[in-house]
Amino acid sequence: MLVDFRPTGKLRGSKPVDATASLGPVLDALAEDSLDLSRVRVVCDWVQYRNNFRDVVDIRPIVAAHGHESEVMPVALSAVMTSDELEVAIDVRRSGDAPLKQLTGDLIRAHAAGANPSRIYLEPWVATRSSVIWDFNALYWKALDLWEQVTGQQYEKTLPGGESDARNRDAVREIITNLFMLWDSLAERNALPDELYVVELGPGNGAQAKTWLDEFTALDRAHGKEYYRRLHYLMCDYSPHVLELARAAVADHAQHVSAFVLDATQPRTALGFLGYKVFLVYISNVYDNLPTDEVAQIGGRTYTVQSRAYLPSCAAADIAQSVSARPEQVPGLIGKLLRLQPALLAEAMPAHFPSVEMAVEFWRRCWAALRLEERYQPLAGLDLYQIAPTVSGESLRPLLESGAAIRMHVNNGAVASFTDTIPLLHPYGRLICHDLFVTDVHAYRTGFRGPGKYDGSVVNWLNGPLLAHIGRRRGFDVDFQRFAHRTGTNIVTMTAQVRD
Amino acid sequence: MLPVLPTTVVGSYSVPEWLERLKTDYYRNRISRSHLGEIHDMAVKAALKDQEAAGIDIVSDGELRRDNDIDYLLARITGVHIPVTVKSFYFDYYDSPVVAEPLPIDPPPPLGLADDFRFTRAHTDRPIKFSFTGPFSLAHRIQNKAYAKSADLVRALAQVLNAEARALADVGAELLQIDEPFLAGYPDDVGVAVEAINIVTHGVDVTWGLHVCYGNRYARPSWEGHYDFLFPAVLDANVDQLVLEFGRKGYEDLSVIQRLGWDRALGLGVVDVKTERVESADLIAARIRKALETFPREKLVINPDCGLRHLPADVARAKLAAMVEGTIAVRRTLSKATPEPAPETTTAQGA
Repeated sequence: MLVDFRPTGKLRGSKPVDATASLGPVLDALAEDSLDLSRVRVVCDWVQYRNNFRDVVDIRPIVAAHGHESEVMPVALSAVMTSDELEVAIDVRRSGDAPLKQLTGDLIRAHAAGANPSRIYLEPWVATRSSVIWDFNALYWKALDLWEQVTGQQYEKTLPGGESDARNRDAVREIITNLFMLWDSLAERNALPDELYVVELGPGNGAQAKTWLDEFTALDRAHGKEYYRRLHYLMCDYSPHVLELARAAVADHAQHVSAFVLDATQPRTALGFLGYKVFLVYISNVYDNLPTDEVAQIGGRTYTVQSRAYLPSCAAADIAQSVSARPEQVPGLIGKLLRLQPALLAEAMPAHFPSVEMAVEFWRRCWAALRLEERYQPLAGLDLYQIAPTVSGESLRPLLESGAAIRMHVNNGAVASFTDTIPLLHPYGRLICHDLFVTDVHAYRTGFRGPGKYDGSVVNWLNGPLLAHIGRRRGFDVDFQRFAHRTGTNIVTMTAQVRD
Repeated sequence: MLPVLPTTVVGSYSVPEWLERLKTDYYRNRISRSHLGEIHDMAVKAALKDQEAAGIDIVSDGELRRDNDIDYLLARITGVHIPVTVKSFYFDYYDSPVVAEPLPIDPPPPLGLADDFRFTRAHTDRPIKFSFTGPFSLAHRIQNKAYAKSADLVRALAQVLNAEARALADVGAELLQIDEPFLAGYPDDVGVAVEAINIVTHGVDVTWGLHVCYGNRYARPSWEGHYDFLFPAVLDANVDQLVLEFGRKGYEDLSVIQRLGWDRALGLGVVDVKTERVESADLIAARIRKALETFPREKLVINPDCGLRHLPADVARAKLAAMVEGTIAVRRTLSKATPEPAPETTTAQGA
């Protein structure tokens, strides 16, 4: 049996974690069962997000490769494979007060029986990027106004630090000053276009765009080149509500601002006309909110992580009671919520949702209770796994080729967005992205990087080495720097610009 | 005998992902040079077959042996020092090649391009275009510590390439093309570039093409602008064809080129190599007909905008097939309108 204790840093310091308290009861439960313990792995994480999709302990089946999958695996690789069949996952952070032995035993018995009666499933096994959690995520941005009305809190206040780092004036001034230097040098060579395009993906409530444009105006006045006159600032967001807020916030700059409703994973559907014309693409805390799979390497074989969302039965019973329904009706009601959104849901099913507020409350309670069960599904070949429309799984090879055990994000949505955005960049343009980046693959071996819950949305850290690799293959230098203008933040700034 | 509106390629051909990985393996010391050489032989033969199957009249080796347009040559030029020869990706440029002493040019040691041509010649019966990057662009990737002026380095590189051109002609090359991918980024330096081109072509009795585009590194343009920057300097270049990019940028520059006095052959870019969207044969035909409003048929050669290196193989094949089909459609129209005068058919190739 392999025990993988990932948060090694927590074993030292003033309040070291008692690993035996987490592991002991789980190992006891395993020992009491008839499982072949040599084929069990136990992994311990410190789950950073207090709101997340995991229970304190869970088990993840490792699906055996067979048929087509085993035929295409190289012989040399299969020779070194182990055949683990089960992973037991423990959240060390929450394990102190939990009856771990009983929970683990229940899970093993449910696994053996092929069904877990304490869970009400919302979907079959799917690639995690296709899970219903992303429908909840999309609903949050579509119906953000209703969510905020009920919670009384604007979404930006739920971010760590209470505001987006894109509003940091020092950071904004640095970016604009660099732009001016570039434009001056192009102007000297008669190579500066008449129209100067800046694109912001995910403008939030517009506060960051306003900060940017206000600073731009002031710096341009001092600079004296009248670049503001030629500036086109394009705000792009999935949420019409967010865009309306943003437009109102930058009303002073209305002559220079346009707003586009678009899916961040396909910016060229609306912005294709800007190919090779954009000097700055500005993205803050968008990529971490886009759908992602995870891949894992276990015993020399590569797997994707599949998920199926569920509600704990007891939570489902409470939720059902609150809307005058039976627990088994809850999945159907959730499906309707995600299709209709709260306002229409209240209209369509008044017996369950007498008011829009009740529908939003149902949404919030479901979201709070939502969990993900996971399993490892073998990949037949990296080339057969599509990360994004123009990126095959081969891009993962450099990160996996060492053969070492790892589980990491693929960030399919972020990769799609990134690869569909960089063709917009002018030969001297830059993409600047503030977000939660893992900058060293090794970090996946020592920490949990999501998924977690931010208010009503999903958050995952981003696989920086993968994005850098994909960017390099497209001729871009991709650089990561810790966000320089606020201390104590996890935010990293990724910059991509043409290499040669 | 070539038909009117002969079809050709600019140079490079699709590099599939598996070949990229093998090439990268070589630059990371994972496979040997001889193995890579055998892989290249197979890839070149396949590229020739693809072009022949598409119906291309004048084919190339696809430049599949080259890591990129610059380093394949720089690494072979005696006197160019490359400090680090390991790359994390084969297509990347080497960092900072240096020329510390004047290049040996009396005579310069051979670069081996004649061997590449010889292999290609042995595996196709069709006319061959053989391309190499010109001295101006090569010089822009070199740290010059040997010459007082950068133009002197450009001239020295031109002499090296002239010797290589002679070697290529000796083994049977009839159509050579100089590629200057950096020129559009330095429009004020066209005079130096043309002077160097004339050094390269001096005394080499073949048909010469000059390809100038706006860059195709990683399927992206490196520069923007219009071809008027080439004039009037390019009129002094001893070349027979200008091979230019129009498919992506539009055909507005055609009239500019004609008005500014270009009366030799024109390689007409009709296929955008920076998108995987395959042009229809009708669109290709329309583009050629548009060009025929400005240039006579005997002056036009039909080609993609630039090399096909960054396109997937199926897309490259489809684009070439569409290009040929569109060209044939125009030829049919022309042959119905007026009979083709025999001498004109050779003018476009310049032979």
